[in-house]
Amino acid sequence: MKTRLLAFLFPSATDSWLAILRVGLGLQVVLYSLSLRYDWNYLFSGTGRRLAEALLSLESHFIPRLEWPINVGAHVGLHETTVLWVAWTCLLLAGCGLVIGLACRLSAVLAWFLHLCAAKSGGFVSYGMDNFMTIGLFYLMLSPLPDRCSVDWRLRDFRPKSPQLLGFWRRVLQLHLCIIYFFSGLTKCLGSGWWNGSSVWRSLIRPPFNVIDPEILVRWKDLFPVAGIFICLLEIGYPFFIWQRNTRKFWLIGICAMHFGIGLSMGMYLFASVMIVLNVAAFGAALIPLARHRISCPPQEVVP
Amino acid sequence: MAWLALHLLLIISFSCRDTLRVIAEGPTIFPVPFGNFSRKAQRIISIVLGRELPPFNPVREVGGAYVHAAGIDVGYGYFAPNVPGGYKLVFELHYSNGRTEYELPSVNSAAAGLRIAGLLDSIGRTPYDPIREILVKTLAQSVWRQHPDVKSVRAIVGSVRLPSIREFEQGQRESYEFLYAYDFSLQNDAPKRQDYQREYQH
Repeated sequence: MKTRLLAFLFPSATDSWLAILRVGLGLQVVLYSLSLRYDWNYLFSGTGRRLAEALLSLESHFIPRLEWPINVGAHVGLHETTVLWVAWTCLLLAGCGLVIGLACRLSAVLAWFLHLCAAKSGGFVSYGMDNFMTIGLFYLMLSPLPDRCSVDWRLRDFRPKSPQLLGFWRRVLQLHLCIIYFFSGLTKCLGSGWWNGSSVWRSLIRPPFNVIDPEILVRWKDLFPVAGIFICLLEIGYPFFIWQRNTRKFWLIGICAMHFGIGLSMGMYLFASVMIVLNVAAFGAALIPLARHRISCPPQEVVP
Repeated sequence: MAWLALHLLLIISFSCRDTLRVIAEGPTIFPVPFGNFSRKAQRIISIVLGRELPPFNPVREVGGAYVHAAGIDVGYGYFAPNVPGGYKLVFELHYSNGRTEYELPSVNSAAAGLRIAGLLDSIGRTPYDPIREILVKTLAQSVWRQHPDVKSVRAIVGSVRLPSIREFEQGQRESYEFLYAYDFSLQNDAPKRQDYQREYQH
């Protein structure tokens, strides 16, 4: 039993999934930073931030927040807006570092810390996407970086990572995704709206997700119950069908298509992209021909 | 191994707690009495997770920091069990010459717009009036900065009622139900809240 459990938790894996996670999350951090470049100070400064941080302190004083660098900046005479600008720049640079794989570990830690600070200090303006970015960056930061596709690997003489350790961190991400989709599907199944399609309709016409004109949407009304049930089944079935070799491809494509559709039809591009990155890194690395053949990475040696 | 077991246990516990909260708050496909059971079960999980411990308790402090750092402090019931209606905030700008203008909270990108929608949901849903007041005031201050010649600002918070497919086909569109109004002026920073039920159509 213990042997089987260990074999499950520590499977041998290459670092293709880690390369996908690093590049994907790096792009995500870059897009996140760029999308908020004009509103960064507005969203994360002033009374709103202080209120969110005060409420955060009721939970724990050790949760990273923008107040920390702002207080440090105040000691050296830097204004809040200057510190926020520096934080934004560092986050963007960390994202770029992750994309090319330069100073991977430092970039991952910096991206996780600064994004977490922004997500927690902007508690009232945060949403699900921030949560998934935190999850992804947390695992990336702890994973055995750098991967062989990174600049770090080419510049310095890194020893290949243990395939079991790589497999373990991929397994943690896989298990976490299974729990996420199971509970997401379960809570949706509890409401009648997802069975009769009204939740699909409401989510598509609810401001600010009303990207498509409702006059166009209403022509497709007969598809809403089918879409609602399909989403419920796709999510609740994820932990059962994603592991089977013969259903994995279908489930992964289905989930990614669902997120792609959400991104396109509701304008939640960043939410869609982070979910697709997490899914493809966790379960898609072996399925993508690009990851198997075309990425010009040096071959990985297996370390006993 | 021990870390993974604890980590997964925390993820499942927070997910269960949020699922039970969804059932307790309803409406769900479960009968109403099930809500009471869910409320009790949710409370038990919260106690086990240390969420009921007093502030500054070391277990609460360390545990809270870990779950937030790992992004596992909440469940994953997005848009579940049903999709709620949103909230709308309108600023009524009063100028000294008697002119009145209306303005919505505005940002520079669609990505920030999603965040403002989340903020409006927080304003509408929070049961704590002082928090709502501070958040509305923060947004009002930014409007004031854009219109420095404004004499007073009235912030009107309303809930959005979405039409069903059938209602939409019959010509109904989204409507707004008045919830709260706050008056801000430069002389008197403390807002006066008006709180009455009135339905209005935009």
